[in-house]
This record gives sequence, structure tokens and C-alpha cells, in this order.
Amino acid sequence: MVSTSPDSSAETGGGAPNAAAGGAAAKPVTYFDGITNRRHEVALAFGRALEISEHGAAVASWAYDDLRAADGGQDTLRLKCTSGPPLARLEVPAPQVQAEIRARARFLHVERETGAQTRRIVAWSVAAIASIVAIVVFGIPLAAARLVPLVPLSFERRLGDMVDNRVQQIFRGKICTGAKGNAAFAKLIKTLAQAGHLNMALRAAVLASPVPNAFALPGGKIYLLNGLLQKANSVDEIAGVIAHEMGHVAHRDQTRMVIQNGGTSFLIGLLLGDITGSAAIIFATRSVLAASYSREAEAGADAFAISTMHALGRSPAPMGDLLFRITGAQGGRTIGILASHPLTEDRRALMRREDRPATGPEILSAEEWRALKAVCRP
Amino acid sequence: MNEATLLQPLPGRSARVAFTGKRRDFFRLVRRGALLELITAGFYRFWLSTDIRRILWSGTTIDGHPAEYTGTGKELLIGFLFALAILAPIYLVYFLIGIELERARAFASIPLILFFYAFGQFAIFRARRYRATRTVWRGVRFWMSGSGWAYSWRACLWSLLALVTVGLALPWRESALERYKMRHLHYGDLPGRFDGAGWALFKRGFWLWLLCVCFVAAFAAIARVRSHPGLLFLPVLVFLVGGLFVYCAYKAIVWRWWLSGICFGEVWFHSDLRAGALMRLYWATVGWIALVVLADVVMIALVILIAALTPLFGGHFTAAGMVLFARQHFYLLLGANLANYLVLALCVGVLARVYLVHGVWGRVVVSATAHNLDRADDVRARGDLVSALGEGFADGLDVAGF
Repeated sequence: MVSTSPDSSAETGGGAPNAAAGGAAAKPVTYFDGITNRRHEVALAFGRALEISEHGAAVASWAYDDLRAADGGQDTLRLKCTSGPPLARLEVPAPQVQAEIRARARFLHVERETGAQTRRIVAWSVAAIASIVAIVVFGIPLAAARLVPLVPLSFERRLGDMVDNRVQQIFRGKICTGAKGNAAFAKLIKTLAQAGHLNMALRAAVLASPVPNAFALPGGKIYLLNGLLQKANSVDEIAGVIAHEMGHVAHRDQTRMVIQNGGTSFLIGLLLGDITGSAAIIFATRSVLAASYSREAEAGADAFAISTMHALGRSPAPMGDLLFRITGAQGGRTIGILASHPLTEDRRALMRREDRPATGPEILSAEEWRALKAVCRP
Repeated sequence: MNEATLLQPLPGRSARVAFTGKRRDFFRLVRRGALLELITAGFYRFWLSTDIRRILWSGTTIDGHPAEYTGTGKELLIGFLFALAILAPIYLVYFLIGIELERARAFASIPLILFFYAFGQFAIFRARRYRATRTVWRGVRFWMSGSGWAYSWRACLWSLLALVTVGLALPWRESALERYKMRHLHYGDLPGRFDGAGWALFKRGFWLWLLCVCFVAAFAAIARVRSHPGLLFLPVLVFLVGGLFVYCAYKAIVWRWWLSGICFGEVWFHSDLRAGALMRLYWATVGWIALVVLADVVMIALVILIAALTPLFGGHFTAAGMVLFARQHFYLLLGANLANYLVLALCVGVLARVYLVHGVWGRVVVSATAHNLDRADDVRARGDLVSALGEGFADGLDVAGF
């Protein structure tokens, strides 16, 4: 029941007549005091403040400037008061009374999200995105480069063992056992490691796989696949590739990659959260970033291979030829920003520029080279 | 007075729950929200989900008084940032332990994923606790006691049992977990309770389980007989369509069972949701998505056609010409595809929210009637607000649940 309350402030209330929302007896104003959920049917009076009374007794007095609209139903105006109990609510169903309140309460909708607030959220978000992009593009590679020397070698070896476990399972029983070939391979590794000043215990093996590839694991494990060995025409071709893999070991590229990729995944994946369909975007971003980190690392390993071959008085050019023989020209076939390696033709051109006449002895004798090539033959 | 009323000394006041939310308003909200999410790379999600909840809560009227959601987007953001700070070292430790285990044996680190499952369950409990404390009805808030970890291990064990029994234990899992959650939920000084029995859900949903088993068995049999993959198109279609029907029915059954099990003190709810009540909403979503995709395909075809006919692109409408064009303008095509994908994803997101969030909510809550409401007429306020950390974990771990 809305009724007129005794007018105590009609002449001071800015000329506002004391409000009587007559004819709304069917729609009582309900007050909840925030202490219990008991329904209080109250009367309102518009004095200096909004006076709320129940059966003639004052219940609360809410300053107009403290009135705020709370979420309510369709037609009911639900009020709260910033200076009152946090959950005290006033439910006003009658439109006339609502109009009276709206006329007095200046800050009724101040909590509603305004355009300015939205713009502020957008601006901060854009700033956050810019900061994340900067961290991912500049910060993480820098941090990874600084962190890698701090990672103990023993940890790197553990990381390598972990991967090695999986490699061993995939290539079970495919480690080539030719005794003479393995001896030649060990000599090759030893010579290259000495020339590259790589002072760590290296372990290496040839795997009987037709894939033309070679790879290094963290902690100094190098695998050469027979497919690559069979495509090679000379020791220098294979030596260059092995030296390249040693470059990865020396630069501790995998450890750096783990830190980098872990960091970017965490940042991009967690911060961007669940925007609809973001999974594909996250995947794309990560692939591009990982590829770009990887191309840098590959270029570094190539530089290592070139200097090692020079130190031995051999030319790095044959390695470039071997790579080109395997992949062919890549320009126009691969997508630049997604490639993990620099284009083969660029790598070959670089190695040809570094071509110098041989001043050192052959790394392996002709006989040793033949034995190495046959290392996977039973 | 007849005998029936005499037998009930307290004929409690009953009221059907009403929903006043309008689809058009909600559509506008989520359309704007989706655009803002796009611009802010997802950061706007905290404010959007707050707005969605505010609309759903305040549209839900019980006994003439709409509920109110008092959470804010800022709280969710802060909760998320705290969760991030806690999750970062956990991810690191997870990584290091993973290395040690893998070193010992290849693939030995897989069980570690279970930890994140448990953590996700913890997050689900804590997220519900946040939402409860931000829910106000008649000037009194809900609140929750209980422990997230206690809930988490229960959830893990029940999930394991459900897995072992090929889903047959699922009703009992739902019932036990809901009992735990509701037991610790309070409305002021009125304690919550869940009365839904696993057996009741089992009886209602058993035919769906059987149907699923038949589906899978039939599909496997067909897949074996017809070796050509092209011939599998029809069975796959039947499988998908049937699967959606089963899913709709399952959802409706679970909702009904859940609502009918809720009690606060002597107030109890009852739902009369039919098993087919949600079909239209789900099929409307599928239909709209199909329409959007179709429109997209037509648009792409038109663009290609126009590009092929204009002299700008050489006017050669040959496969080789198109490949050449694609190679020369790789970044242009990549950008166009990405933009197209994003628009499509946003449309699907908006549709899903309109039909599957707003639509399902509206359909489900109005199926409920609250009984004995006069026993909730003088409830004292109790309980304090909790932080949104749980919501942050749920966000960071990508788990959904309620």
C-alpha cells in the first residue's frame, strides 16, 4: 500500500509536493531491509530524502543522491542505497511513483555501463594486447636467451633423455650396428666436436630410417637417419649436416625453444581465453611464432657449421648442395612465415659464398666413408 | 473446507517461477558483446558474462520478486589475474615433474593430466560458490560452505566409476555430487538440500543410454560392412541427427530431475519439463548455423566468380590461374580467410548464446514451481562474499560447469 505520509518537509523539499501515488493500492511498495528477507509493505514520502515508513513508523531515510537502480524485473523499479545496508532493496512497481523517484535521484543509473566505460575497457584491453605482443615478440626470446645459460647442463641432459626415451621407442631395433661404420661415425663426431670446441660428452647413432634427416636432442645426442646418409656423395656433405646439428647442441637451442614455446603458449593460451573460436587463432599465432624462433635457431646452427668446416680446412658448400638435392628449390612452394627453416636455396647460396679451397685433410678416408655408408647394412 | 485441506495443516504457498527476459534484448547484448570480445581479443568476456548473468537472474521471478546478480566484470578480471599468478608456477612444476617421469619411462607423464582434471573440479565448485554469493533474492544472498578439494576428490572417484561402468553410474555420480554442492549451499539461514536420487534419474534416462549403445553398435557394424568411406555418409548423418535428439532429451531429463530435487529448508521445487521441451531450441541453433554457413559458402563462391570475371585478376578462370593468384596474393587470402572465419565463429557464438543459454534458461526455469514458500518469508541474512578466484581457475583451465 502506498499512502501519503505526514508531510514534514513539504516547504523545504525544493517545492516538491509530498508524493502520494494514489490509486496504486494493488501494487504496494516493498522494502527489504537486508537483514531478513521479510516483506515490508511501506509508504514513501519525498522529503529532503526518500523517507520510508511502515505503519507510520520510520524505517529508513535514503538520500536521493545515494539512490541507485538495481537489476529488477521488467516493470518494477528496484532501488538500493549506497549509504544503507548493501542488500537493502526497495521495489517500486507503480509507474507514477517511479517517475517521482526518477525526477529526484540524479545518480540512479550511474552504475550502468556507459559508453565511456566500455571505451575504457577496450582501451585497456588493447594496451594489454600490445604489451603481450611485445612480450611474446621481444621479451620472451630475450628472457630465454638470458635464462638458457642458467639452466644446468644436467637438466638439459634430463630433457634430452626424456625425448630420447620416445625416440628409442619409435625407432626400436633400428639403431645401425655396423662396427666399422660406427667407428668411422665416432671419428667424424670426434673430429667435428674438437673443431667446434664443443666440450661435452656427445652421443650419436645412425638410425635405419629412409627419411633424409638428422636431428639433435638437448644434452648432446645426435641422430643421423640412413636416408640422408644414402643421399650424400661425400664426407663433407654429411660432416656439414652433423656440424649443423652440433650447432644446435652448442647453442642449446632446444632448451631455449622449450622456454620460448612454453612461455608463448602460456601467455597466448591463457590470456586470450575462450573467445569464440579462438582455438584456431591461437594455433595459427603459435605456429607462426614457433617457426620464426626456429628459423633464427637454424640460421645460427648454419653459422656454426660453416665456422666448424672452416676450422677443419674444409668447405661448407657441399652441405648446401646436399640439402638442395633433398628439398629442391622451395621458393613459391613453402609459405615463408610458416617455414621452420630458412629456404634451402638461400642456405645453399650462403654456403657457396663461404666456399674455400680445401686446406685440411679429408675428415674420413675413402675406406672409412664406404664403411659409414654401409653402417645400416646387416 | 474439504478433507484434503484438513489433512494438510500447512497448505504452503506455491508459485510458478516466471521468466521475463526478452530474446531480442538478449540478442542485442550478446551481439554487442561478441564484437567487443573480438576487438579486445577476449578480455571483454568478464563483462559480457556478467551482463548475461544479470539479465538471466533479473529475468527470473520467484513469488513475484526477481532475483538479482550482484557480481561485476572487474571482480571476474581480478579473480582471473590471481588464478593466472597461481597457475603459472603450477604449470612449471607440472612440466618439470613431467620431464622426470618421461625420463623414467616414455609416456609415463600422462597420468599427470588427472591432476588438472581434479583441479578443474575444484574450480567448478569454487566458481559456483562465487556465483551463489552474488545471487540475491528479496534482499538476502545465497552463500556456500564446504571445501573445493573435498568436492574435487569425490568428483574424481565418481567420474572413474562412471567411466568403468560405461556411463551406467552417471546418475549416481550426478546425484552424489549435487547433494554435496546443495548441502553446502544456503539461502540466508535456510540450508539447501538435494533430494534427487540417482535411481530416479537412472529410470528416466536408461532408455537414452540404451539408445546410445544401439547407435554405436549399429554404426560400428555398418562401418565394418561398407568399406567405402563415401557410403558412410548416410549412417553418419543418421548418427548425428539421432545423437542430437538423444542429447536434447537427456538435457531435459537432467534439468527436470535437478530442479525437482532442490530444497531450501522446507521450501521445495518441482519441475514438469517434458523430455522434448528443448528440441526446438537445439534444432533452431543447428538450423541457423547451417543457414549462416550456407550463406557464407554462397558469398565465397560469388567473390571467386566476380574475381574470375573481372580483368583485374587476368580474367583467366582456370585452375592454374587461381593457384597462381593464390600464390601471388598469399597474405591477402590468408587475411580474408581469417576474417571470414572470425565472423563465422562470432555468428555461431551469438546463436549459441541466444538459443542455448537464454533460450534454454527461459524454458527450464518456467517449468519449475516453488512450494511451501511461506517457509521462506522470514529468512535471516548470513554468509559472506567470496572472491572470484574459482571463476578465474575455471577460465584458466578451460573448464565449464555449474
